[in-house]
Amino acid sequence: MFFVALITFSLAHAAPGSPFDLNANRPLSQATIDRINRYYGVDKPIPEQFVIYMGNLLKGDLGLSFTRQRPVMDIIGQGIGTTFQLGLGALAFALAFSIPLGIISALKQNTIVDYLSMLVATIGTTIPGFVIAIFLIYIFGVSLHLLPFVGWGSWQHMVMPMFVLGLGAGGFLTRITRASMLEAIRQDYVRTARSKGLHERAVIVGHALKNALIPVATIIGPATAGLITGSFIIESLFNVPGMGRLYVISILQRDYPVIMGTTLLYAFLIMIANLTVDIMYGMLDPRIKVR
Amino acid sequence: MATAVTTQDQRAAELNVLARKQRSLWGDALYRLIRNRAALVGLIIIAFAGLIAIFAPVLAPYDPLAQNGPKQLMEPIWTKAFGSKFTDPAYIFGSDELGRDILSRLMYSSRVSLIIGFVPVSIVLTIGLTVGMLAGYVGGVVDDFLMRVTDVVYAFPDLLFVIIIVATLRGTGLGDAYDGLLVIFVGIAVVNWVGVARLVRGQVLSVKNREFVEAARAIGAGPGRIMRKHVFPNILAPVIVTVAFAIPGAMLTESVLSFLGIGIRPPTPTWGVMINEGFIVFSTTPWPVLLPSLCISIVLLAFTFVGDGLRDALDPRSKM
Repeated sequence: MFFVALITFSLAHAAPGSPFDLNANRPLSQATIDRINRYYGVDKPIPEQFVIYMGNLLKGDLGLSFTRQRPVMDIIGQGIGTTFQLGLGALAFALAFSIPLGIISALKQNTIVDYLSMLVATIGTTIPGFVIAIFLIYIFGVSLHLLPFVGWGSWQHMVMPMFVLGLGAGGFLTRITRASMLEAIRQDYVRTARSKGLHERAVIVGHALKNALIPVATIIGPATAGLITGSFIIESLFNVPGMGRLYVISILQRDYPVIMGTTLLYAFLIMIANLTVDIMYGMLDPRIKVR
Repeated sequence: MATAVTTQDQRAAELNVLARKQRSLWGDALYRLIRNRAALVGLIIIAFAGLIAIFAPVLAPYDPLAQNGPKQLMEPIWTKAFGSKFTDPAYIFGSDELGRDILSRLMYSSRVSLIIGFVPVSIVLTIGLTVGMLAGYVGGVVDDFLMRVTDVVYAFPDLLFVIIIVATLRGTGLGDAYDGLLVIFVGIAVVNWVGVARLVRGQVLSVKNREFVEAARAIGAGPGRIMRKHVFPNILAPVIVTVAFAIPGAMLTESVLSFLGIGIRPPTPTWGVMINEGFIVFSTTPWPVLLPSLCISIVLLAFTFVGDGLRDALDPRSKM
């Protein structure tokens, strides 16, 4: 985390230009520039600024936005709820379709069902989300007028962004589920369960699936990271007032405190996601602890 | 045996059988790759895109930057069959909001995409292989340093890191060079080399204590020779697969950046730039956005098919 902050901070300050020199027609007087610089604390040497920034960060203060005259914390707080809504919805959707699809295609390996679901998974992982979104907007938004494609609020607004965002992560999860399920149904304990005369359903759900889902659980961490980074493209595209759109806008406006804040938050979220998965992994699979 | 008289023909046939059995790992892999139908289709598409990219100046009917005011937002000619009044036989795929020929722009875009696919990935490969092999084989301080650096880069979400690098360097000379192409190279290289280095390091560690390396050392081969002749060929397969997936990854990064408006500078045509620019007129006419979206999807799918095929061909044990 510290290094993430350090790198972002150095890059942001190494960059030329500031949001204040945008207006070339009405140049600001030197006195005004000095005053603005003092106000935002950017007149001090850069290492000192970094120390101050890190100190404030520990107190939960991310500084002031250059362009909006409001604390970064407030601005992020406004968008984060929407982003979470979108991200969780997409994750739920991804899990809901990918795990059953992966199981079915493993059980019916090399049949048409398998090939179709693998095709869906490949499309989901390969074709970028914004391209899929464009096709969806064209079909459902522009041609059929079924769904709105700008803004956020009602469930109609949420369907397409969640679908697109979930499809990418879901495609990946489908492939993992299929692969680990294929491995699981060839294990000895599955054969044992079958030879005991258990129902096929009990064998699959109770024995094979239980073990097959362990690798899937570990992938949820990286998948969440993918969802988070994917969200800023999708949010910009659908004009969703979340953190991702905020991030893109502040990059275009060179609003460094907001860029810093959101980057740190993104890195933090991804770290939490990975940590949660590590802990879950230990609980799901007791063999890990023995080693 | 002494009584058996083998004619020259028989002898030749025997040799032939032996010769046929001897297939190298790479020949085998190539055979498996070609037999994989999806991978073959992917290869053909990539070759086709490559030809278009190389011969774009000859093939393109118009200058991709030439604007033709009165002929803006023409729809593709096939829409005429569905009752569109805004078609012009001179613009097969239609024209964009500035009256530029979409077909020509699509052709020129494939150049940028392929360059973005191959150039940064070769940088990544060179750095990653060198550092990874050194860290894996020499170990010690080099290894520690590599692992610390990779830890830091891993903490960043990939795309976020590229965006920050590209966005902050935009105003500088580096950012302006070649319409922003150079800074994208840098961004992709900085983010991706660690992955390759880490993979190579792991592979080297698993190979370097195997018997054949020990045997080479026993007969007096120096470290340079061992690395080149014994370690390197044996770690190549997973590296090739990773690279095969890195190429579409790099293309995707460029299109995302250009789509967000921080990638390649307009008016240079790339598929991402075309999507970004066409979005303004999307609800009037979708073609300036739909056609580049289609191109990018097809090319990315082609590369993924080849990547999948390569993985199956080079590593039959792999599970996915």
